[in-house]
Amino acid sequence: MDRAYDILKYFVLNGVFIITALIFTTYLILTIFSAITLRKYLRKNSYVDYNSIVASPLAPSLSVIAPAYNESETIIDNIRTLLSLYYNNYEVVVVNDGSKDDSLEKMISAYDLEKVNYYFDYRLPCKRIRGVYKSKNRSFKKLTVIDKANGGKADALNAGLNVCRNDLVVSIDADSIMEPDALLKLVKPFMEAKDKRVIGAGGVIRIANSCEIADGHIQKINLPKKFLPRAQVMEYTRAFLMGRMAWSELDGLLLISGALGMFDREIVITAGGYSINTVGEDMELVVRIRRYMAEHDLDYDVIYIPDPLCWTEVPSTVKVLARQRSRWTRGTMETLATHRKLFFNKKYGKLGLLGYPYWLAFEYLAPIVEFLGICWFVFLVITNSLNWPFFLLLFGFVYFFAVSLSIWAILFEEITFHKYEKRRDVLRLVAIAFLEPLFYHPIVMLMTIKGNIDKIFNRNKWGKMERKGFGKN
Amino acid sequence: MLAATGAMDTYAQEIADSMPSDSTVVDTTMTAQDPVEVLSVYGRRILNRFEKSPLLVTILYIVILYSIITLITLLIIILLNRTRLQREEALTEYLLERYQLLLMNYLFDEEHQELAFLELDEVADNRVNRQVLIDQMIDLSVNLKGEIKEDIQKLYLRLGLKRDSLEKAYSRKWHQNVKGFRELAFMNIRDANEQIMKSLNASNEILRMEAQIAMVRLSDGNPYEFLHMLKKPLSLWEQVTLHELQIQHNLVVPDFKQWFYSENVSVVMFALEMVSWYKQRGVGKELIVLFEHENEQVRNKAFKVCGDIGLKMVFPALVLRYPGEIFKNKLEILHAFAKMPDEKYLKFLKSVLDSEDDVQLQIEATKAMENTGEPGISMLIKLMKSKSEYKNYQIIIRHVLDGRIY
Repeated sequence: MDRAYDILKYFVLNGVFIITALIFTTYLILTIFSAITLRKYLRKNSYVDYNSIVASPLAPSLSVIAPAYNESETIIDNIRTLLSLYYNNYEVVVVNDGSKDDSLEKMISAYDLEKVNYYFDYRLPCKRIRGVYKSKNRSFKKLTVIDKANGGKADALNAGLNVCRNDLVVSIDADSIMEPDALLKLVKPFMEAKDKRVIGAGGVIRIANSCEIADGHIQKINLPKKFLPRAQVMEYTRAFLMGRMAWSELDGLLLISGALGMFDREIVITAGGYSINTVGEDMELVVRIRRYMAEHDLDYDVIYIPDPLCWTEVPSTVKVLARQRSRWTRGTMETLATHRKLFFNKKYGKLGLLGYPYWLAFEYLAPIVEFLGICWFVFLVITNSLNWPFFLLLFGFVYFFAVSLSIWAILFEEITFHKYEKRRDVLRLVAIAFLEPLFYHPIVMLMTIKGNIDKIFNRNKWGKMERKGFGKN
Repeated sequence: MLAATGAMDTYAQEIADSMPSDSTVVDTTMTAQDPVEVLSVYGRRILNRFEKSPLLVTILYIVILYSIITLITLLIIILLNRTRLQREEALTEYLLERYQLLLMNYLFDEEHQELAFLELDEVADNRVNRQVLIDQMIDLSVNLKGEIKEDIQKLYLRLGLKRDSLEKAYSRKWHQNVKGFRELAFMNIRDANEQIMKSLNASNEILRMEAQIAMVRLSDGNPYEFLHMLKKPLSLWEQVTLHELQIQHNLVVPDFKQWFYSENVSVVMFALEMVSWYKQRGVGKELIVLFEHENEQVRNKAFKVCGDIGLKMVFPALVLRYPGEIFKNKLEILHAFAKMPDEKYLKFLKSVLDSEDDVQLQIEATKAMENTGEPGISMLIKLMKSKSEYKNYQIIIRHVLDGRIY
């Protein structure tokens, strides 16, 4: 019995220690890479005049697909924002995914819509499309509304892909607010492509809680007032400006946020569109299109740009956050399981050798290892065998390292886009960097564990995201 | 985090257990007076308090110290950066206001012209202030033409700002080169043309693009002469930028078919796009040659151009090409037929509608038929009434005839 206990102890402790050291080293490397990439990007783009493509006939055509489910409160304003983006050659395809509220009626009335004889085929699987609507008013000629039976976000995006006709597609959440120049910035990597075909591009998603919003546009940027959204600002800043920027440079990017991403339509359709069998359809799509390109020996790129392109409302209660994080975890698990073939497979290049193993070890397994460590800590406390001075030393080691990483992220934000203009907001962000590891991170870790349990017990719901609605801010 | 600490705590305990006993001996007497020894004794005492491996404890201390120093340094940088930005913003705002007034006086008030010049010379006495002035002059000259624009260029020379721009153009840093090229091009200075030419094939794409723009601006006869020398691909972004430059500055438009047979595929694509934009119609024979180009994108663009400029003479060649083309090119051929409706090809279009299964190809063929006018529409109506077991013509034709679908 004692022998078995010793062996278990040996593996748990060594595993936790090695993973902690690896995580810290990896984060440090990612920080360095993202710093280099950010510097390069800022230098390169400080000379760019985006206005040259606003009305250029040479610019590629885009279809913006916005799935909407029960978005009645915000849908009209959000469509208005989408119709007023700075770009010439684009259409907006709103997919009403069987909303139970009056979203469709509101759209019909606000935009003078009527059913048209639209011909399309179901190249990608999706639930029945009940009708395609166009406006009688030519000022809204860019707008197409699809009404379909409810099938989830991926299903709605596939319906949009079946109907739209342009070269590039932009998938967005209908409840997100896009920056007016978001399309210009996102399309640029596609237009800059030379030897490699750019198949996907994403940008930074910012948090809109507490911001002042009018007519579907951000009027004044404020740091969220509540703790949970504010901690998520810190988390998003770190993830986008450090993690994804670095992975983009390392060619190991596995995720373009579902809130906003631009893709090559032809590749997306050929690769089979969005998967309806996962709740993490955004990550799954990126992995699949990358896998498709690698399997067909086609040179490609997936690009991430650090510009803030889109604003979204994040959960402000623990209950809603729990649902969201459970879904993210299940999505990650499903994608990693579906594409397990990539694991250390050199055929897929950096995707298989770097990107996939990183997600498996650090994004998926790390919280589990962390949870096991906490259980061990509790066990030591209960059995009164914890060396408190050494515990505090280790605690300081982990805590200060985590805080310093967050401060790096704040610095990156400051030297790049400094969206928070008030000095007070920056100081508040710094304060959050100190509080987040103590009060926010444990919550997120527990929610991730819940996601694992939900997956094991096949509780595969999307989870309702209750939003206050931007109008109420 | 607690997890890591909890787990590592016992891990360290194990390491400590395996360490030689002297590492856990606590020296409590501490009689030595040598400060180094005193420190070392204190250090050992601290390490021993943890009853752990001294090496592990030392590493942890170093990481903690590193983290704390890093975060304090970063906090200071963040706050200083804020202050610096605010100060720079205020200075720029002040300078812009001042320069604007002085430039207006110089350009439009002959009486105070000399005084304005002296003041400008006085204010622009350091690199930063001169840079703001150059930027301001460029911004101003973008919106001006003729004599006033020339006056700004003369002022730029008189103030000796050319030296700053040339320094940048010959700098070792690419971002400085970009600035320099841009300024020289705006001010129509050709002194660094050789340097700019060298950068046309630079590996840095931004530098390359800026060199191209500068060459277009600084060339008198054929602004696109550099395309003959271009070895690197011309990205779509660069093409758009050049095109915008052409429109904004009303530059001389060359005969773009001269680049149809360039070895650089991207140059051929750009030339085709420009032929279409400037409706250079005398390119029929050359376009038919491009239908056989090995690059499918070039062929696609050639088909598009035919439709854009209305070259009906290529129809027989298009019909011949259609069956063997890839999907995208088939679509473009049908687009061309839709743009130049001709009832003589209704039979061909009907055969496409019958034989193709793809929705987009069917719609394009139907659109092309509809665009021919009465003969096409009556053929479509006849098809709508017919009952084919293979094809639901009604849905396709209703879609095309629905005027609400733009």
